[in-house]
Amino acid sequence: MSRQANAPGAMAPLTTVGRSTVRIDALERVTGRATYTGDVQLPGMLYARVLRSPHPHARIRSIDVSKAKALPGVSAIVTHENCKVVWGAGSIAGGAQYNDEIKKNTKQRRYAFNNPVRFVGDPVAAVAATSRHLAEEAMHLIVVDFEILPHVLDHEEALKAEAPSIWPEGNLCLNARNEAQPIAQKRGNVDQAFAAANRVFEDRYSTAFVHNAQMEPRAAVAIWEGDKLTVYTPTGGIANCRHDIARDLGIADDKVRVVTQYMGGNFGNKNQNQDADLIAAVLAKEAAAPVKLEFTRKDDFIGMHGKWPTTQYYKVATTADGGVSAIQLRAVSGMGPYRKNSGTLAGVELYACPNIGTNISPVYTNKTVSGNYRGPEFPQGFFGIQSMMDDVAYQLKIDPVEFAIKNMVRRPSEQGTFTNYSLPECIETGARLFDWKTRWRRQPGSDAGPIKRGAGFSFMAFRSGVGQSSAVIRLDAKGIYTVFVGVTDVGAGAKTTMAMIAAEALGVPLSRVHLVSGDTDKCPYSVGESGSRTTIQTGQAVIEAARDLKQQLAAKGAPTGDAVLVASATPSPRMEANKVRNAFGAHFVEVEADVESGRVRVTKYVTVHDSGRIMNPLTAKGQIQGAVVQGIGMTLHEDMIYDRASGQPLTAGFYYDRIPTHLDAPEIEVTFVEHDDGYGAYGAKSLGESGIVLAPGAIANAVFNAIGRRVKDLPITRDKVLGVLA
Amino acid sequence: MSNKDDTSARDVEVSRREFIEGTSAALVAVTAVSALDAQAPVRAPAISVDPSVPRTTIRVTVNGVAHRVEVEDRWTLVELLRDGLGLTGTKIGCDRGECGACTVHLDGKAVYSCSNLAVWADGRKVDTVEGLATGDRLHPLQQAFIEHDAAQCGFCTSGQLMSAKALLAANPHPTIEQIRAGLAGNLCRCANYNRYVESVMAAASPARNTAGGDR
Repeated sequence: MSRQANAPGAMAPLTTVGRSTVRIDALERVTGRATYTGDVQLPGMLYARVLRSPHPHARIRSIDVSKAKALPGVSAIVTHENCKVVWGAGSIAGGAQYNDEIKKNTKQRRYAFNNPVRFVGDPVAAVAATSRHLAEEAMHLIVVDFEILPHVLDHEEALKAEAPSIWPEGNLCLNARNEAQPIAQKRGNVDQAFAAANRVFEDRYSTAFVHNAQMEPRAAVAIWEGDKLTVYTPTGGIANCRHDIARDLGIADDKVRVVTQYMGGNFGNKNQNQDADLIAAVLAKEAAAPVKLEFTRKDDFIGMHGKWPTTQYYKVATTADGGVSAIQLRAVSGMGPYRKNSGTLAGVELYACPNIGTNISPVYTNKTVSGNYRGPEFPQGFFGIQSMMDDVAYQLKIDPVEFAIKNMVRRPSEQGTFTNYSLPECIETGARLFDWKTRWRRQPGSDAGPIKRGAGFSFMAFRSGVGQSSAVIRLDAKGIYTVFVGVTDVGAGAKTTMAMIAAEALGVPLSRVHLVSGDTDKCPYSVGESGSRTTIQTGQAVIEAARDLKQQLAAKGAPTGDAVLVASATPSPRMEANKVRNAFGAHFVEVEADVESGRVRVTKYVTVHDSGRIMNPLTAKGQIQGAVVQGIGMTLHEDMIYDRASGQPLTAGFYYDRIPTHLDAPEIEVTFVEHDDGYGAYGAKSLGESGIVLAPGAIANAVFNAIGRRVKDLPITRDKVLGVLA
Repeated sequence: MSNKDDTSARDVEVSRREFIEGTSAALVAVTAVSALDAQAPVRAPAISVDPSVPRTTIRVTVNGVAHRVEVEDRWTLVELLRDGLGLTGTKIGCDRGECGACTVHLDGKAVYSCSNLAVWADGRKVDTVEGLATGDRLHPLQQAFIEHDAAQCGFCTSGQLMSAKALLAANPHPTIEQIRAGLAGNLCRCANYNRYVESVMAAASPARNTAGGDR
């Protein structure tokens, strides 16, 4: 990894922040002592299992639980008949942040147990028993009489008039105001621009359902003590999780405690609350005992969400000098039967194009639900537009890098400016480190022999806004600074980053900082680890609490005896009008494609990112490397394939979904160009999602450069490579 | 089994207990006995044994500590380790032999403990991540994993460690390609594969030095 701090006004080096630092909880992670939710054991705890719909669409006529209930050791069974809990964050926000208003208004409620069931995996019943084997046995004794309804899997088919309706309102998703509307955006005059164009290009791209597939299958442990509920659960945001659980169960926030000490990955799949939290809580109440609900890997694959599949139709107009004068995008996103995210697509905004028209239809299908997966709307949108533009560049006989530099975004809007703008620097640095001019084939597919190499590139501007979060710091007489932050550390190292920021801001060694996190009864609000914003937002809160504490210390002196000094901060920074903060990056990839077997292998991968000031280079590097390898999986392997007739998912699980292994991971070279734009914690920008955003476009373009034919549907599997060559 | 090993296993257990107490989870009472003591009492596992299903009392040595324990015949080895013996460092990622999060050593060989029945471990030796350190002294692999930040979320880490240990036992001087092949059965969705490989290379280096090897 290399880092470049850039003139003018090169960043002043800091004492703790910016230095490679071993995680503060590294010992726990390598000794097996780290306690994940599934490791929590409570006295008298019961085990729970969920029975799921085997049909993609069916009405439940009746459920007979009598045999299951008669099994000794079975304590509680819940179904849609005796549990009417709405899982708010599961869909009804219509793609917006779930809130009280939306809960009241929405027509399309997702319950913890639904009738009708709308996908293979929709929960039908849950059982709590004295052991997991007993719970499984009981689950199989539940008799469900289903009336099978017609289903639709493909998101474009779902929009056709003859498609079966998944909701009474139709298959075009409703938004938070119950309106069935595509997501549309307009700038300039697209029609005029196409009429005046020198050349017009049209094409279609598609992306597949990609599962988050985090290693830890979901688990939730719930215990009621009087009217107080404690839920141990893996969530990226304990504050939001608590709020959502309270709202869904109709109890006050302070009657819910959420605890997440360690969690095994998130990638957008463990934000807010989960149905597992609600089901465990309901079972625990019913059984009057603590309940541990464990999802199997299959439960997690079909019952939780992944990235929405898309079909994207682009039309691009160019001028005689190779400028992009208009972009039109019509797209359809398959959301599964509940709208857990907006289903929008990013990417068009990467180009400084005066005329833009986008129209994206999120639609319901009877597949597993779609939602956030690392850079929710970015990797699939960037794949489409950057494949399209790569193709346009070739057809105009312009080097794709030069074409990008000519047409890339320079300001966020006509009036707006970026807080700093390093896109050219990222691209130029990457091209140099990668040796683009040598590795890129001017004539795609021109290598002799069956094993062909080629190079591809993509670039990124990615949201990196500021916002509210909280922190509390307490200083005791021993000189220990205890930092209370509501972060959970999904794996990116948030605990360590927060401790480092505190040490820096307090001007003390890291060893004098203790961190308390992941417990709503102990920690203040934190924004939650989604959207790559923990470092920016909660980090800023830590800095401001530290500033307060230092002032107190100067005024009152160090505490003695049992006395303590306590400081807190809840900054709510906003960007000035017309100021936009983005992270930037560029990826350069070389692949080797075997035109006889269709196999594609990544042979060199160079990344350059401006994520502002890097807090901890040791962990930051891994964020990019890991995200890129996930991107390799999304581009070359992963797909949830369904049997059309039965609606059954055929590839649910690590093996058949083909998530990358050690053998699929080349060395990912990481360079950070660092700038402190004066915002965020010490100039930190978003990082965790960046790596995957760029990978699919860059790899797909490299495949084209190697074989001379373009695979337009992800994933680029062997059959598709052989298909385009045939 | 040497006395030294026995002590170290207990040390690790003690610190684990303290950790569990800190998180208000229930204590798992472990009856540790010498491997030579055939009269070891049968211990009650943390989860209740269903009296209506076939059960077997087995003897198994875990991290150098001998146990006599009654198990349900349907229990997998990972269930015995996690629920029966409270050794939760070994994780269940898929429970069907796809991900390697549950990798332990059975008589020194790396196996998926989700794909072995507990009764198959009768009379055998099991080693888990909790047994890697010697007292407070970390195994070189653990040290390298810390220094190279191999664990992101950490859920697959125990399995990666156990596979890496088996790899280095068979091949103390692996190449990068050999490490990738040796750990191919251990998935990491954080996809921190570069750092795992880097860590194993680093851990293997001191061995090269002492072997007067090819550095």
